[in-house]
Amino acid sequence: MELDANFDERIMGLIASGVAGKFKKVKITGGTSLQKELGLDSIGMLSLVFRFEELFEVDIAQMGIEINVAKLKTVEDLIGAARDIVGKAQVAKES
Amino acid sequence: MEDQECNALDIVDCHAHIASEEHTPMSFVEGSVANMVAAVSAQGVPVTAKKLTALFMSKMQDPLCDALVAEMDEANIRKTILLVPDFTYTLKDCRLTIEESYHKHREVLHRHTGRFEVFGGIDPRWGKDGLELFERSLLDFGFRGLKLYPPCGYSPSDRSLFPYYELCAYHHVPVLLHMGPTSPVLDFNFASPFLVDEAARLFPSVNFILAHGAVSFVEECIMMCRFRPNVYLDISGFQATLGYDPAATAVKRVVSVGLNHKVMFGTDFPVFRLQGTQRDFVEVVTAEAGPLADLNDREKSLVLHQNIARLLETGVSVAA
Repeated sequence: MELDANFDERIMGLIASGVAGKFKKVKITGGTSLQKELGLDSIGMLSLVFRFEELFEVDIAQMGIEINVAKLKTVEDLIGAARDIVGKAQVAKES
Repeated sequence: MEDQECNALDIVDCHAHIASEEHTPMSFVEGSVANMVAAVSAQGVPVTAKKLTALFMSKMQDPLCDALVAEMDEANIRKTILLVPDFTYTLKDCRLTIEESYHKHREVLHRHTGRFEVFGGIDPRWGKDGLELFERSLLDFGFRGLKLYPPCGYSPSDRSLFPYYELCAYHHVPVLLHMGPTSPVLDFNFASPFLVDEAARLFPSVNFILAHGAVSFVEECIMMCRFRPNVYLDISGFQATLGYDPAATAVKRVVSVGLNHKVMFGTDFPVFRLQGTQRDFVEVVTAEAGPLADLNDREKSLVLHQNIARLLETGVSVAA
């Protein structure tokens, strides 16, 4: 299952749109910490999940996928989880 | 390293609840969700209360505590104290009566022998019936303490509670009280630790545990613990602060003021299940550079299990 070639950049853009105030200056890379470096608290993470659902037109709860927010420590973790969700959504759509 | 830390410690979670809407009315949940909707909406994200409520309730499907026991095993939590807040007097959409709720908790006690203790809650406005039920909970159900939720609309030093405290003194069981703001459907006027003072002074042989002492009214909770020999605090709910304070500074504060014989570990399961598992929360507290890092092994043991174990064993107020 092929994902959009710009997938990672789209997720990074999504993250950047949810980062507030002083954290906006932080350069976002795969290893950037979502909480410590980008200041994304639980509400910020929740908002990110909802933005993600809107962007990719998926409903994570309806897909029966459980996200453990505590395990999403870096941008890379988030990209990995996003790839997994969108991949599953595509498979479900095609089947 | 975190794994090794986690496995080497004996841990008792002194503050948790059964994850089921049987014991938590929807009005309580919806009130809390309203605050989340406001915060998420402020970030320009279109979200409905219905969606957030559904997300939260998806983590509230463990009425027999099987999932909780699995998480306890993974987190090396040997025992958990289940608290039964009595919302039935104030919130009229409770599914069960408080007595029915007690029965469900007793079922869990029997299902998972040795893994749980239960503190039964009663709203003092239930009068004589409530008092009788609470005594039965100690004598017949095997419960080990009293849980009070003052934001339901009463002061912890209200005279109507004194017969309960007399029972607690007689049976040598502690009282755990919710402190601080909570669901907006309740009354925050009764959430202050200083409202416990009169009761703690008049009932010196009863031990009072201030819940969420590292979250709300932190300095007031510390003062009460420092000057009242029979007052303790638990750190449950510390997860609420991790978003803006990943180092859990408030927890570090309460274990850095010479009161580690008064501080107890707690998680407030299942309130923070959207944020992580019991193991995640144990790791935050016990990490090498975490809030307990400056404590020696004896102090860590006090906080993680010995303080609550001592209260359950002896019951009576003993200055540590």
